[in-house]
Amino acid sequence: MASREIVRYKSPARSAFSVLVIVFLIVFFVWTVLPLAIMLISSFKDLLDAFKLPAEGDWGGVGVMFDFTPTSAHYVELFTEKHFGLYIRNSLIAALGSAVVSVFLGTMAAYALSRAEFRGKKHLLFWIISTRMAPVVAVMVPLYVIFRSSGLVGTLPGLILAYTTFNLPFAIWILKGFFDNVPYAIEEAALVDGANRWQSLRMIMPLVAPGVGAFIVLCVLFSWNDFLFASIIGSGGAKTLPVATAELVQPVKIQWGSIMAAGVVTTAPMMFLGLLIRRYLVTGLTMGAVRE
Amino acid sequence: MAVNEIDRDLLEQGEYRGVRRVDYVPQIFNNQPARYYLMWLLLPAVLLLAAISLYPFVWLIYMSLHEVQLVPGKSDLWAGVDNFTRLFSDKNFARGWVTLFKYSALCLSVEISLGVLVAIILNNSRLEKFFITIFLMPMMMAPVVAGFLYMFLYNGTFGWYFWLLRSLGVLDGGTILGNKSWAMGAVVATDVWQWTPLIALITLAGLKRVPQEQLEANMVDGAGPIRNFFSVALPNLYPFLLIAILLRFMDNFRFIDTILIMTGGGPANATKILPTYLFDVSFKFFELGRGAAIAISLLLLTILLGLILTKVFEDPTHKLKADGTD
Repeated sequence: MASREIVRYKSPARSAFSVLVIVFLIVFFVWTVLPLAIMLISSFKDLLDAFKLPAEGDWGGVGVMFDFTPTSAHYVELFTEKHFGLYIRNSLIAALGSAVVSVFLGTMAAYALSRAEFRGKKHLLFWIISTRMAPVVAVMVPLYVIFRSSGLVGTLPGLILAYTTFNLPFAIWILKGFFDNVPYAIEEAALVDGANRWQSLRMIMPLVAPGVGAFIVLCVLFSWNDFLFASIIGSGGAKTLPVATAELVQPVKIQWGSIMAAGVVTTAPMMFLGLLIRRYLVTGLTMGAVRE
Repeated sequence: MAVNEIDRDLLEQGEYRGVRRVDYVPQIFNNQPARYYLMWLLLPAVLLLAAISLYPFVWLIYMSLHEVQLVPGKSDLWAGVDNFTRLFSDKNFARGWVTLFKYSALCLSVEISLGVLVAIILNNSRLEKFFITIFLMPMMMAPVVAGFLYMFLYNGTFGWYFWLLRSLGVLDGGTILGNKSWAMGAVVATDVWQWTPLIALITLAGLKRVPQEQLEANMVDGAGPIRNFFSVALPNLYPFLLIAILLRFMDNFRFIDTILIMTGGGPANATKILPTYLFDVSFKFFELGRGAAIAISLLLLTILLGLILTKVFEDPTHKLKADGTD
């Protein structure tokens, strides 16, 4: 860059402006982090502490938030009485199953779509992306009837198939963009050197491997966070974490402590994974339209 | 072995004349076998996708023309286009569309303006890396959890946001989610909290692609930072913002988890966007035929959005890769 920094002269207006900017950033930071902090803190509070609030307009009383003796009772309760271990297992199987199927088939299809030219390719691609964009509820209406008659409602395979409806088109679409960026010359060189087509595909796999890995993680994320499919198609035998969390709401009383703890259990691994694939996250969440 | 095959192919085509320069033309290079090979690679995914999307779609059309009976042994009753004609007299259906657009418009306008503002402030600043890490956290949260979290914050007896609003004196009486005029804002705020960071990240990626030369040239010509933003950065950002708007709008009716959890469409249908209504019709009242008709109307919007999106993806002027070397 020639000169990214341009000389700026100090003026009262400018320093007032920069103070404004800093205040805005602080407010935005608090607004983003506060709910997360409250969730984390509340999950360690017992019922009485969690419901403590300062009096209205009592700005000094905010410290009440941190005035508690931490307890891990809610977490213990989740894993002993509420069988959250089982739900984590269900979530993991459903998410991983669908992610692996989607990315495996998706890689093959994406490679083919990237290399082949044929009539109707555009329409095929459009069909694929519109499948991914269809509203979950609308997809679920016929899927529910079909799965009901074939006994897939309430089973993990049913849930895996349901998640594949959005993961597979996602994987195909986004990995196609990855293969498009790998020059054909590499495979060509491999072919000239005596490799067969399968070997030449393996030759370029290392180039797309990080992306493939990242999109497995993203597929896991999408399915892990899903609630609608899990609540209708997984209802009964295949209860996942979000559904189990929602079931903590009972008619008599909402168990807020447990819900917050369940929220932490559901969210923490995904945040960790999100940080892990940080580089591919925006690409993934924008269907490959934006690359960083 | 393979080398020999290639030689034979070229000889067959009568093009082998000793020394020959092979340009980068993969199509000529062993065309036919490769095509079949690629088709075989493509087939499993396409078949699976057809089984779980095309086949249900045919079912959806069938269902929309019938009165679907969920009791085993009973066969579906032919209803013709009744399910569709009933939609026209269905007040909730029309309201669902209006609420959906209202909800999306509110979400999008706040998210875009906030996200762009944050991105501009953070671009090239020391805090950029730190904030990006912070940004990731709400986005990774399951919408259900976000819904519960905000329900907790809005709660009328122990919610911190409820306390904040009361202390500021903006909220008069009643709870936030139980109030017709506040519920929509409350739901929008949840979406804004979760997804403004995505807009900011997209905008940041876009700002990195704004040609520095143009900015400098404009500054040399005497433009201030604000003028510079509107006449150079914003036009360059436009495709990114378009993508952001389309994707967020799409997700606004793809995911209704937060609304389902927080208000269930209430109070008095104030937050009942069309997908929520569809959920009620199909999975609360189990009127699957009518649900199918609503679903088809939603899918039409999806297809329309998809057409726009693919145009944006393909249009060379909107190519988001500045140099094609990513």
